[in-house]
Amino acid sequence: MAVSPPTGIFYNARRLRTYFTDLWNRREFAWFLAMGNLKARNASTALGLFWWVLNPLLLGLVYYLVFGFLFTGGDRDDDYIAYLLSGMFVFHFTSQSMTGGANAILQNAKLLANLKFPRLVLLISSLIESGVGFLASLLVFYAITWPVLGVHPSRYILLLVAVFPIHILFNLGLSAIVARLAVPFRDINNFIPYVNRLWLYLSPVIWPLTLLDDADPIFGTLVELNPMFHLIELYRTALIGRPGYPFNVEDLLVSLAWTGAVFVFGVAGFIRYETRMVRYL
Amino acid sequence: MRAKMAIKAEEVTVQFRPFVERKPTLRKTVANFRSRERETVTAVDHVSFEVRKGEAFGIVGRNGAGKSTLMRVVAGTLRPDRGRVVTYGRTSTLLQLGVGFNTELSGIRNIYLGGLAAGLRRARIDEIFNDIVEYAELEEAIDRPIKTYSSGMISRLAFSIGMHLDPEILLLDEILSVGDEAFRTKSEQAMQDLLDRSGTIVFVSHNLSKVADFCDRAIWLERGAVMDNGRAEDVVEHYRAAVAAGR
Repeated sequence: MAVSPPTGIFYNARRLRTYFTDLWNRREFAWFLAMGNLKARNASTALGLFWWVLNPLLLGLVYYLVFGFLFTGGDRDDDYIAYLLSGMFVFHFTSQSMTGGANAILQNAKLLANLKFPRLVLLISSLIESGVGFLASLLVFYAITWPVLGVHPSRYILLLVAVFPIHILFNLGLSAIVARLAVPFRDINNFIPYVNRLWLYLSPVIWPLTLLDDADPIFGTLVELNPMFHLIELYRTALIGRPGYPFNVEDLLVSLAWTGAVFVFGVAGFIRYETRMVRYL
Repeated sequence: MRAKMAIKAEEVTVQFRPFVERKPTLRKTVANFRSRERETVTAVDHVSFEVRKGEAFGIVGRNGAGKSTLMRVVAGTLRPDRGRVVTYGRTSTLLQLGVGFNTELSGIRNIYLGGLAAGLRRARIDEIFNDIVEYAELEEAIDRPIKTYSSGMISRLAFSIGMHLDPEILLLDEILSVGDEAFRTKSEQAMQDLLDRSGTIVFVSHNLSKVADFCDRAIWLERGAVMDNGRAEDVVEHYRAAVAAGR
């Protein structure tokens, strides 16, 4: 028996369990969509999936030229390429996820109008897609930094077992928030690039950590509150694993807290909203 | 004893706020919020009906009468503002002609996309894949993007997918108005078989003779409201009379 939900729904535990059971039953669907899109991308552009890696790589290169050579203020470690690229790839995964979910919904409007299934599956499929790109970019990270700087995986890489899932859940919550806003208000899509850019500058991607030592306290506080600061720090410990990138429990705890909040807020808001979504497509 | 219930719609009401909700922008929302101007269009207006198992149920009415919106509520893809629909059984939807899920993708991928979204396992779709293609008579074209298909080919594919999902309740929205005579005969046979297995069909069509012929009961919608509800032949006759009278 299927009951269309009444208006002003309160999602009780039973309904939520049904939702996630339905979602779990659609796991092959999420995977199929993601793989299909990856293949389509490979078919339509000569470099295919490599664009996922190339975009942050080229952006990193631009910043490297600008800040590595033109403005050489502050102390820059010899490791700067590793520092820059690790931050860039991690940040790129999150910024891709932000818009990916909303786009997946808009692209599959016909499917949504005709079939009833948990809409979260579309966000997950888009996350799988960018997750594959992100994992590929980690290989590229070592391909560049190993020969140049001798950066190689150490035992710290095991940290990824915790950090990667946290990052994924954080991105899922974030994409749910953006989709919730961008499907009814398409204008939001125009703001996203600026939000992204601002967020990038507030994250320790381009500027070295030493910058924080004598920075404006307001900037310092913003950076401390920024979940990406802590996530990127964790990734650097995991990927570079050298002295200078020590493991910091605080980073893990703050990341977990942010992820929990963003995931619950984003996913709960999305699920409540999704039965109204068809009206906006 | 009365046959078992398949669909029960109670006081279903759907309202749209055009200019605000269809493709709203922030500016318009803010503007409307300030002026408190909330013009609403009632697409479906307190509609109630019941469909029993083994029954074919027709929905007739002019363009824009709310038929397709009502079907979406029954399919569960659109939440009504008021009222509710309860369905008893696996529901398969073939709404709007040329569904085709995603026209950029091949027929093959659309079969998998539709099947997986409907909740089938991939292995199950592998099993029924050949039957779907054969039934739709698309062996030649199945690996082409469906934007290259004719509307008849698309409706054949959509119908074939819908039937092979093994539904207990089948929702058809204008899906059979296109397609050649041979396929129409075949699809009607399939629909009759479904009814004989005490399945249920809800049928939106402008082909009034087909509704009168095929359906047991029907409703006539006008501006979202039910004008008539009863035996299909009677409802169609009343609707025809109203159209002829130019009302």
